[in-house]
Amino acid sequence: MIGAIIDRVEKYLGRGRHSIAVPVMDGPLHPNNRLEEAQSLFSLKDVDNLACVGANIWCSSGPMLLCAAQDRQPEVIETLKSTISAIAASPEGALAIGVDGQGIVIRGGKHDRKEFTKVDGVALNCPTAIVFTGENTIAVCNGSKDKPAADWKRDLMAHGKSGSVWEIDLVSGKATKIAGGLAFPYGLCRTSTGYAVSEAWAHRIIAVKAGEKPRELLRHLPGYPARLSQGPNGGYLLAVFAPRNQLVEFVLREPEFLSVMTRTVHPDNWIGPKLMWGQGFKEPMQGAALKTMGIIKPWAPTWSYGLLVVLDEEFQPIDSYHSRADGRRHGVTSVTVRGQEIIAAAKGAHEAVVLHPITAGGAQ
Amino acid sequence: MSLAESFVRARSKFFPDHLIGEILTKRWSDNAVPFAALIMVVVVFGALNPNMFSAYGLFDLAGQVAEYGLMAIALTVVMIAGGIDLSIGSVFALCALTMLTGMNVYNLPMSVAVAMTLAVGGLCGAVNGLLIGYMRLRAFLTTLVTLIMFRSIYELIMPNFATKIVLGFPDSKVWNELGLGSLFGLPYAVFVAIIIAIVWHIILSRSRPGWQMAAVGGSRRSAFNAGIKVRRVVFMTYVYSGLMVAIAAILYGARLNGLGTDTGIGLEISVLTAVVLGGTTLGGGRGSVAKAMMGAVIVLILQNGLLQMGLLGTTSAMVLGMVLIFGVWLDVRWLKNRHKLLNSSYVSPAYLKLPEDAPDPDKGGVYAVNDLLSTSQPLAIGDVEGPEDVAIDKDGNLYSGSRHGNIHRWLAPDYTKHEIFAHIGGGTYGMNFDKDGNLCVCVGGMGLYMVTPDREVVKLTDETNRSRWSIIDDSRLRLADDLDIAPDGRIFFSEATYRYSVHDWQVDMLEARGNGRIICYDPRDKSTKTVLGNRIFPNGIVCLPDGESLLFCETWACRLMRFWYDGPNKGKVEAVISNLPGYPDNINRASDGNIWLCLIGMRAPVLDLAMTRPGFRRRMTRRVAPANWLYPNINMGCLVKITPEGEVLEAYWDKDCVNHPMPTSCKEDRGHLFIGGVSNNRIGKWPVPGANPEWSEHTKWATYGRAAATKTSEKKA
Repeated sequence: MIGAIIDRVEKYLGRGRHSIAVPVMDGPLHPNNRLEEAQSLFSLKDVDNLACVGANIWCSSGPMLLCAAQDRQPEVIETLKSTISAIAASPEGALAIGVDGQGIVIRGGKHDRKEFTKVDGVALNCPTAIVFTGENTIAVCNGSKDKPAADWKRDLMAHGKSGSVWEIDLVSGKATKIAGGLAFPYGLCRTSTGYAVSEAWAHRIIAVKAGEKPRELLRHLPGYPARLSQGPNGGYLLAVFAPRNQLVEFVLREPEFLSVMTRTVHPDNWIGPKLMWGQGFKEPMQGAALKTMGIIKPWAPTWSYGLLVVLDEEFQPIDSYHSRADGRRHGVTSVTVRGQEIIAAAKGAHEAVVLHPITAGGAQ
Repeated sequence: MSLAESFVRARSKFFPDHLIGEILTKRWSDNAVPFAALIMVVVVFGALNPNMFSAYGLFDLAGQVAEYGLMAIALTVVMIAGGIDLSIGSVFALCALTMLTGMNVYNLPMSVAVAMTLAVGGLCGAVNGLLIGYMRLRAFLTTLVTLIMFRSIYELIMPNFATKIVLGFPDSKVWNELGLGSLFGLPYAVFVAIIIAIVWHIILSRSRPGWQMAAVGGSRRSAFNAGIKVRRVVFMTYVYSGLMVAIAAILYGARLNGLGTDTGIGLEISVLTAVVLGGTTLGGGRGSVAKAMMGAVIVLILQNGLLQMGLLGTTSAMVLGMVLIFGVWLDVRWLKNRHKLLNSSYVSPAYLKLPEDAPDPDKGGVYAVNDLLSTSQPLAIGDVEGPEDVAIDKDGNLYSGSRHGNIHRWLAPDYTKHEIFAHIGGGTYGMNFDKDGNLCVCVGGMGLYMVTPDREVVKLTDETNRSRWSIIDDSRLRLADDLDIAPDGRIFFSEATYRYSVHDWQVDMLEARGNGRIICYDPRDKSTKTVLGNRIFPNGIVCLPDGESLLFCETWACRLMRFWYDGPNKGKVEAVISNLPGYPDNINRASDGNIWLCLIGMRAPVLDLAMTRPGFRRRMTRRVAPANWLYPNINMGCLVKITPEGEVLEAYWDKDCVNHPMPTSCKEDRGHLFIGGVSNNRIGKWPVPGANPEWSEHTKWATYGRAAATKTSEKKA
């Protein structure tokens, strides 16, 4: 009873659970233009799911699996049954490919052409991230229990909390649940003690380990985190695919409006995060995003943003690469490392870029 | 429509949410809290001691209220100018002593005694004023010291006269009547106090000395910079205070005809409680006679009530002290949060359901997106910021307004030579030339202006008739938007909203209430009159050649309307297009007899949904930062050509929105269209396919002349 009253009061005042405050980008996340100005690697529609094997970059475009050799344009290797939603490469060069709504298929290596559609009786319909823990084991994030990865926006608006992380033995097909009840796990990488998972709708990174409760590594991110990757010089890289926004947070707390909006309006025109904003005139606009004197202000509130965060060994941000509201390299969903270079896929801009991290000497 | 939606709609239609915010903008809304407290005190103590409000109780109370009220006004005057006067209790005692000594001991005529008392009060005030106003000592400490000094003087003199005062019997009928007589059951003192209170009310609220006091109290430095003699004003407030206390002392002397050692002790605290409780702020700049009187009545009822309930004087002082603390706390909280309350309650969204049958540009048809405007040549890049509207004179020179309040001019034929034709101030919006070549301009925040060919700026009008039931003053023009000139020379212009200023024009969209109106200025008798009210952001206006009707847009309602201002249909309003797919801005004539209509942006489905949910929008304005508020997508608009009957002929888009993301106006002239944008930094010049190269806005006067002639001959026939 008292809880309900406090909840009402907090709802009126916008406090506690009803607070729509969004963390600002400051400190290591201070905006810059380094992603916007980065060297382009190649252009590819809906480029996503980068994985590096030697000098080759594997990536996807819709259902197509592509490979780009050093300084070459990507070439289509195979077209799968549905959109590719995750790719991981083993040290020996085998690929585990997440097929949206279907499961996981293996290409190359000793488990070539194996398919995994179910884990422990649960459909693997939303494989969002995969990582090899050896040649015979993979770990996989299932973003949502009932929606494919393409419906991520619907999962956000439904306050989705049905994601899970699994370890699959490729030899026996046996799956072990490592964590469940996650708000769209979207990125996965190995740490010295277990796995780190980026939980998109909870704006945080957690450490998960079989049989243990998840532990928060980094919280209050100013955006929705996507893929995680090991960094070139230790540490980690985090792709942040869209910014958080006060208006979205507000709408998420308006159940009636939310349900009518998701029922009657096309997802592209929702009040919600996007990989690229400003694509049509039916998209809603926020006050400060008005084009004034011929320009969009870089600090304008927009539905999309380009952000790549460099994390240290403890998952604390130390550096970041931005493409701001007036830029176009938005919607960074995937990141990988090739030697000393960082390769990032700006899915919203249909482009992959190369970033050269600052080395110990300080030169770029 | 569901039942819930019908309810929301009815509520927004019949319950005037917006009035709450408007009342809060009024200074008198401050009085709500003390007034409520007053009612509460009257009810509580009236119930506890029925005797208090009996005839005798009222008589006694009224006499005290008169004295008390005058003291409260005295302190209010000082506090409005930012000071404080703690010495009033001592001055009060000294004045009462003077008056009674004069009357009872020396048997002076009453007028002389009164003059002496006023002189003593004024002198005490002048001492305070001199020290605080001119020598700039701290008011609090200074009056604390004079409190003790005046008290010492009183206690030195009083014993010499105390017995004689009690024994003396003044021979003055007026004096006795003042003390004991009554009119309509109330002592004369009450009427004296009422008259003085009214005088002070007028001084404080409606005269220069009063405004100067408030200015000094509100911001001493600004008042000084504005040329107010700050020291003199402060000095005078203490003199006024002394004089008022003297009058209160005279009434006191007449009522009680005696003195004690405790006369006036502790009075400063109870008067201060009254004033603060009434809502006069301790920081200065805010206070009124009404507040002082309310506070005085509350404190008196409280004091007397507690006494009648048998509480000891010390206990009642304790209660009073607590009330003072509460008053000070309330004062601080109210001052701090008033604007927050106002901010969160001023925006009051209404229910607006836009028609669902609007054509969808994505599905083709006349509105289909094209790139026809890409051949537009950008002029004046960097010369101008925010040319909302443009105009072309008889010689082909190009004019525009700007957000800096200038009228810019570019000379024909190439429009590279730029000059500021005139400076008006305020954002310059809709503009048109009249028959004599004067440029009539709507100026945001200022009204309707005219610039003659000799560059003289003439104010035509800045106010209209105030509507009968409006709470905020809607007579001033806040956002004159677009104008057109009827064949008979009358200027019809739209005021988009009277609840928001120019800089917040988009906020009116979140409200979507009928805050706008069409106003007519008649140059023949220089009168201004609202001809049509309650319109949802009326924007572009075009007078039709029939001389009795005009077309206007309602931006947030996405419709084009026709209004008859004359003729047999006078007063009729009719929708010409009720389902535009975007938000219309200005409308103007085309050379082929059709109308150019600018859409500043297209309707977004989510926004349409939000418009039917006033509560959602209200919560949004309260919780979300203004930069993040949901707006229509006015980054991509288009031009549309329509017939005067409302048939849509063609749409013209700038697909990549490089030059014209948000076209707010366009004017055709000699084969070209000149396109402006209120947040743009350029004017587009676009060759109109198939346009009449001879036609310009100025040619209409000749056709109007012909139309008028036919009309007169028809009438004659």
